[in-house]
Amino acid sequence: MAEPLLEVQGLETTFKTPDGTVHAVNGVSFEVKEGETLGVVGESGCGKSVTMLSILGLVPSPPGRIVAGSANFFGRDLLKMSIDEIRAIRGAQISMVFQDPMTSLNPVLTVGRQLTEPLILHLGMTKQQAEDRAAELLEIVGIPKARDRLSDFPHQFSGGMRQRVMIAMALSCSPQLLIADEPTTALDVTIQAQITDLVKRLRNELGMAIIWITHDLGVVAGLAQRVIVMYGGYIIEEAPVNELFANPLHPYTVGLIGSLPRLDESGQRQLTSIEGVPPLLFEKPKHCPFAPRCKWVMERCWNENPPLELVSPEHRVACWAWPEVKKERPR
Amino acid sequence: MTDNNVLLRVENLVKHFPIMRGIFQKQVGAVRAVDDVSFEVKRGETLGLVGESGCGKSTTGRAILQLYRPTSGSVYYDGVDLVKLKGEELRKMRRKMQMIFQDPYASLNPRMTVGEIIREPLLVHSVASDAEANDRVKQLLELVRLNPSFATRYPHEFSGGQRQRIGIARALALQPSFIVCDEPISALDVSIQAQVVNLLEELQDKFGLTYLFIAHDLSMVRHISDRVAVMYLGVVVEMTTRDELYYNPLHPYSQALLSAVPIPDPVAESTRKRTILVGDVPSPANPPSGCRFRTRCPIAEPLCAEKRPEFREVKPGHFVACFFAERFVK
Repeated sequence: MAEPLLEVQGLETTFKTPDGTVHAVNGVSFEVKEGETLGVVGESGCGKSVTMLSILGLVPSPPGRIVAGSANFFGRDLLKMSIDEIRAIRGAQISMVFQDPMTSLNPVLTVGRQLTEPLILHLGMTKQQAEDRAAELLEIVGIPKARDRLSDFPHQFSGGMRQRVMIAMALSCSPQLLIADEPTTALDVTIQAQITDLVKRLRNELGMAIIWITHDLGVVAGLAQRVIVMYGGYIIEEAPVNELFANPLHPYTVGLIGSLPRLDESGQRQLTSIEGVPPLLFEKPKHCPFAPRCKWVMERCWNENPPLELVSPEHRVACWAWPEVKKERPR
Repeated sequence: MTDNNVLLRVENLVKHFPIMRGIFQKQVGAVRAVDDVSFEVKRGETLGLVGESGCGKSTTGRAILQLYRPTSGSVYYDGVDLVKLKGEELRKMRRKMQMIFQDPYASLNPRMTVGEIIREPLLVHSVASDAEANDRVKQLLELVRLNPSFATRYPHEFSGGQRQRIGIARALALQPSFIVCDEPISALDVSIQAQVVNLLEELQDKFGLTYLFIAHDLSMVRHISDRVAVMYLGVVVEMTTRDELYYNPLHPYSQALLSAVPIPDPVAESTRKRTILVGDVPSPANPPSGCRFRTRCPIAEPLCAEKRPEFREVKPGHFVACFFAERFVK
C-alpha cells in the first residue's frame, strides 16, 4: 500500500460573520496516497472548498480562522508553516485549479507571463528557459500553436482553453499533488469531457496525486479511485469509488445517488428527492447534521453526533442507522 | 394544418441580433442565434431542448413566447400565428403561455413580497379582484408546497429551491397550458433539483401542462422529456423520442454529446467509449458554411461545407440534419 502523501487530522475552520460564527469545517480527517485520485463530493456550503483552502493556507484571516487540526505533507504540518514556507510549497509541490478560469487568471497579464512566473520563482529558470517550458506545457494540455499564444491575454481564450491554461500552470512545477476545485463545473459537457480526459492522461503520464472537488457524482464515478462525501462541514462517508456507488451506507449518499437521473435509464423511475435544505452552520450541531432531513432518523441521532467509523476495510461512515440503511435503501 | 394534437408549431424560426459599430451605429453583422428552426410540440407532452451554452436554445424559447420578436418565421399556438399578433391580442395570448427562469435569484423582484410577486400576473391581466387574488396566492403556494403564510415575506428569506417554487407558482397563476422552462434547475443543488423536477412532473399530470424544457443536462432531459430536440449553433440537428435518441443517436453531434455526459456509476463509466470532440463551438456571428457542425465533426466530407443538410425524417418520427445519418441507423 502506498504511503500517505497528505494526512489531514481533525481540521476545523470557522468564519466570523456579522450574523454569527459559521462553522464551515468541523473536524475533518482524511488522507491522500501517492498517485491516488480522491474525489470530494458535496453540495454548496458543505465545506469541501474551505477544507482545501485551509490546507493551503488560503483562507483569508480574518474572518476565517483555523481552530484546530493538522495537515501533514511529507511529514511537515502545513498548518504550522510560516507564510514563506507555505509559499514555497504552494504552486511547486501542491498546486490548485479553481472553478472559474476567468476570475483566476489575471486579465491584464499575458498568459505567457502568468505561466512563466512560477517557473522563474520556484524553479529558478531564466526567462528564456521559462518561455520554452511554458510553450511546452501549453502543448501538453492541447493548445494549438502554443508558442504564438503565449503573448495572448486570457480574454482571447475560450472557457475550455482558459481551464487548460490553468491546468498547464498548475502542472508547471511538476507537483506531487494537484487540488482541482470544481474545474469543469463552469464548462459545457463536451468541453468537460475534453478536460477530464486530459487530466486522466496527465495523471498516468506524470503520476501525481489528485484531489478532485465536485458536486457531480458522474464526474467522480469516471475519475476517482476513492471518494469522500461531505455534508454540513463533516465527512459523512468515505469509500473506494465502486464500493460507494454499489453500497452507499449514509442516508445522504443514498439520497444523492437516488436523486440523479441517469442517461442510461429511461425516465419511468421517480427521482427520490431529499426533502428540506442544507444546514446553515451557524452553530456546531450536537446532533447528526443530516438528522433534520433524514428518513432513517432515530432518537439517538438527536442526542449524539455519530463519528466517522470504519464499517468494513476502507469504508467509513458517520451514521448510527447504517445497518438499517443497508437493509432498507432502494435498489 | 389542423392537427388537434399539436399545441405549438414553430416554422422556420429565425432570430438574428444585429452587431452595431461606430458612432452611427451601423449594422456590421448579425449574431445568428436561431437560424431556421422548425418543430412541433404536442398537447400535454414535454419537449426537451438541449444544447451547449450559446447554441440558441434559450433564444428559441423566448422567441416562441414573443419576448424576442423573431426576425422571420412563424409560431402557431393553437393555430394562431403569434408573430403576426400585436398589442392587446398578443397580451391575451400571453396568459396561456408562461415561463420559468433559470436564475431564481435574479428572476424575483427583491422589493416585492412573495404574495405581490405571485399576484402580479393576476392583476396585470385583471382576471381577479384583490380578495380573489389573495385566495389564489394561498392556493398557489400550497400547490408548490410552500407555507401560505410565506406570502408576506421577501425573496431573500428563501433558499434557491424555495425561490424556484415561487417562480413556478407565479407561472401557474394564470392557469396557462404551455410553460417554457428555461434551465429551471441548473442553478440548484443536486439534492434540491430532484424536488423541483418531481414538482414539475406532478403539476403536469394535474393540469395537463405542456412543457418546453430547455436544459444542458442530458440526463435530466432524458428523465423529464417525451421527445428531445438537440440544438447546435442555432439549428436543430436531431429530434426524436427520448429513448430513441439515447439508443440510436443519428447525428454525430448528438452522439458526441451523449458520450460526454458522465454517468454516476463507476462500473458503467469504466466500460464506456467516448467520442471526444476537438476544439470549441464556432462563433454564431460567423458560422461555418454548409453544415454548422462540420468543423468539429469526425465524419465530415467536402459536401458538408458546400450544402446545408436538410432536416429530414430518417426513421418514423426521427428527424436528423446530416447527410450521412443512414450510416448509423440501427
